[in-house]
Amino acid sequence: MSVAMQVDLGGLLMENPLTTASGTFGSGREYAAFVDLDALGAITTKGVSLKPWKGNATPRIAETPSGMLNSIGLQNPGVDAFIETDLAFLSAYKVPVIVNVSGHSIDEYVQVIERLEGEDRVGAYEVNISCPNVDAGGMAFGCHAPSVEAVVSRCRSATKRPLFVKLTPNVTSIAEIARAAQDAGADAISLINTVLGMAIDAHTRKPVLARAVGGLSGPAIKPIALRMVYEAYRAVRIPLLGMGGIMSGQDAIEFLLAGATAVAVGTASFVNPRAVADCKAGIEAYCVRYGVKDVNELIGGLIC
Amino acid sequence: MTPPTHEMGKWTDEPSLCPAVEVGRVAYNRRLAEGLFEIGIAAPGIAHAVMPGQFVHVRLPGMEGHILRRPFSVFAVDQGMALSLVYQVRGCGSGHMSSIAPGTELGLLGPLGRGWRCPPETRRALLVGGGVGAAPLFLLASALTQQGVLLDVILGAQSAGAQVCLARFERLAALSATTRIALATDDGSLGRAGLVTPLVEEALQGGLFEGARLQGVSPGGIHPGMAHREGGQPQEAGKGPTPYGYIAACGPEPMMRAVATLAAQTDALCEVSLERHMACGIGACLSCVVETAQGLRRSCVDGPAFNAREVLS
Ligand SMILES: Cc1cc2nc3c(=O)[nH]c(=O)nc-3n(C[C@H](O)[C@H](O)[C@H](O)COP(=O)(O)OP(=O)(O)OC[C@H]3O[C@@H](n4cnc5c(N)ncnc54)[C@H](O)[C@@H]3O)c2cc1C
Ligand SMILES: Cc1cc2nc3c(=O)[nH]c(=O)nc-3n(C[C@H](O)[C@H](O)[C@H](O)COP(=O)(O)O)c2cc1C
Ligand code: FES
Repeated sequence: MSVAMQVDLGGLLMENPLTTASGTFGSGREYAAFVDLDALGAITTKGVSLKPWKGNATPRIAETPSGMLNSIGLQNPGVDAFIETDLAFLSAYKVPVIVNVSGHSIDEYVQVIERLEGEDRVGAYEVNISCPNVDAGGMAFGCHAPSVEAVVSRCRSATKRPLFVKLTPNVTSIAEIARAAQDAGADAISLINTVLGMAIDAHTRKPVLARAVGGLSGPAIKPIALRMVYEAYRAVRIPLLGMGGIMSGQDAIEFLLAGATAVAVGTASFVNPRAVADCKAGIEAYCVRYGVKDVNELIGGLIC
Repeated sequence: MTPPTHEMGKWTDEPSLCPAVEVGRVAYNRRLAEGLFEIGIAAPGIAHAVMPGQFVHVRLPGMEGHILRRPFSVFAVDQGMALSLVYQVRGCGSGHMSSIAPGTELGLLGPLGRGWRCPPETRRALLVGGGVGAAPLFLLASALTQQGVLLDVILGAQSAGAQVCLARFERLAALSATTRIALATDDGSLGRAGLVTPLVEEALQGGLFEGARLQGVSPGGIHPGMAHREGGQPQEAGKGPTPYGYIAACGPEPMMRAVATLAAQTDALCEVSLERHMACGIGACLSCVVETAQGLRRSCVDGPAFNAREVLS
């Protein structure tokens, strides 16, 4: 039995529902030895800003039960270097590219998009208003409906390409924030970014991360992510890109059932560099087993 | 942007052999001293490809709630088939590893990182290991010995029992007239009492191993029977006269810093191997960055071996 895997994520046509979670896969170069990049539905790049960002001090990660904390702080070489190296690398592939956009200010998000408008390899933008690891911008924009609308509407007027907005789970009502993004013109919503957390070393009495707090990812956050996809699915009409702790095809199926049109694999790639390809195979195997002819039948297919 | 590889004796910018995922089968796992173990893992692919100073990223069965792999340097390669790792029990992963039975299958990702890059013109090299930091130096010692580089090795540990890498170095030295070993222990139970730093200082001035050559055995901790038959190479021109063209150090960071400070007064290239917390191990996540003279570098692909001048000054 062949399974129809193609999905339409807010105008981005993906051959299958699998993409990579921003910041966990570089731009694919490091994983090309493990995964056929062109077999993915899309590649989501690491966050890119207008100017180079240094990121935070080390230690930047800590292992926690069934997960990890990170406080990378969006280290990146800036949009010009990103075009020269990352997009140039990806020009050898045909897989759609979702560029994750970061900024300290609304103007900066817009300028990054403007700089990328002339680049053919860009298939969609994912505006990251949810990074917990930077002091200005990032999550600060993603926690209140008015600032979400302000960022998204300015980015919307800068491009006709599919515009995704990546939301933080560190909010009281994900439904309200998702609606604000939709009303401001987003084509899809990515969720969730990492959950704000902390690890402490009792022996040294110090925080484990140099920046004290960081973002929790991995299986530990899957229940939170599923709940938020489920709530957002009920709140908006635009499609969802679900992520948070996906380690297997079965995890991915759970996100589709909760309402995601596509899914992103993040932390799992650190454990298993082939994780995103394995998840794709797992989705196919599930569909075969349950006689699902088209993955689109699964989206929001939760029985309750 | 591809990191230069570290083919022994050659400076090259060709991409390194692709890391791969390999299932390794544990051949042995033995306690060497309190909290120190050696594990042998049959993994022919990685064993064949590994270069001195590279590491493997290990995933252990029975640790599914601990999602990150653990990085360990490759200590030795046996019969071109099996990797040996020497490890210290520090936390849950290394603790769990000590209970892994022979026959168990482990997930390995490797070989990873840019190892040691001893310049090809080197005629005499000094290797300094502290504790399990001696582990990543052994493959280097083997390679340099094969190339006919005169080799002086200084190994420090807490006690005689904790000199767990020594036996392999001794076997190497026994087969090579050009390799000599000096030891230090914190408690004085083997070799010189105290830190390795004074030994390094003497070696850099040319005294330590020359004394051994004359006397055969030195009260300063030179291991008997390891004296060079010929003299060292002529001193290289430079700031401070030293017999060495290349110095490699691995151990606790204060030790590496001390060695680097001493080496900085000479003309020798000094490399150190850094330990940073790692998630992906292949250059994608930016967890493991090190501040260098050229900006931030990823220690999993641009290191773990770095020019000491660029990272420790
Ligand atoms: C390139 C490299 C080579 C290494 N080679 C050796 C070796 O040959 N022998 C040896 O005994 N040790 C080596 N280490 C250190 C070894 O990786 C740590 O001791 C080990 O990860 C500790 O894991 P744990 O679960 O026991 O400790 P925990 O404290 O329970 O580990 C928690 C987390 O912190 C990380 N972590 C803790 N300490 C370190 C450390 N010192 N370096 C890096 N990550 C750490 C772990 O990987 C894990 O993600 C090396 C480290 C690196 C980076
Ligand atoms: C090391 C690391 C770096 C990340 N960098 C970014 C980033 O640059 N931009 C972004 O939007 N999200 C970033 N994230 C968040 C992930 O894209 C993802 O939303 C989150 O990790 C949850 O998915 P997971 O549990 O599958 O990892 C990062 C996560 C990790 C672990
Ligand atoms: S461990 Fe991921 S970049 Fe080094």
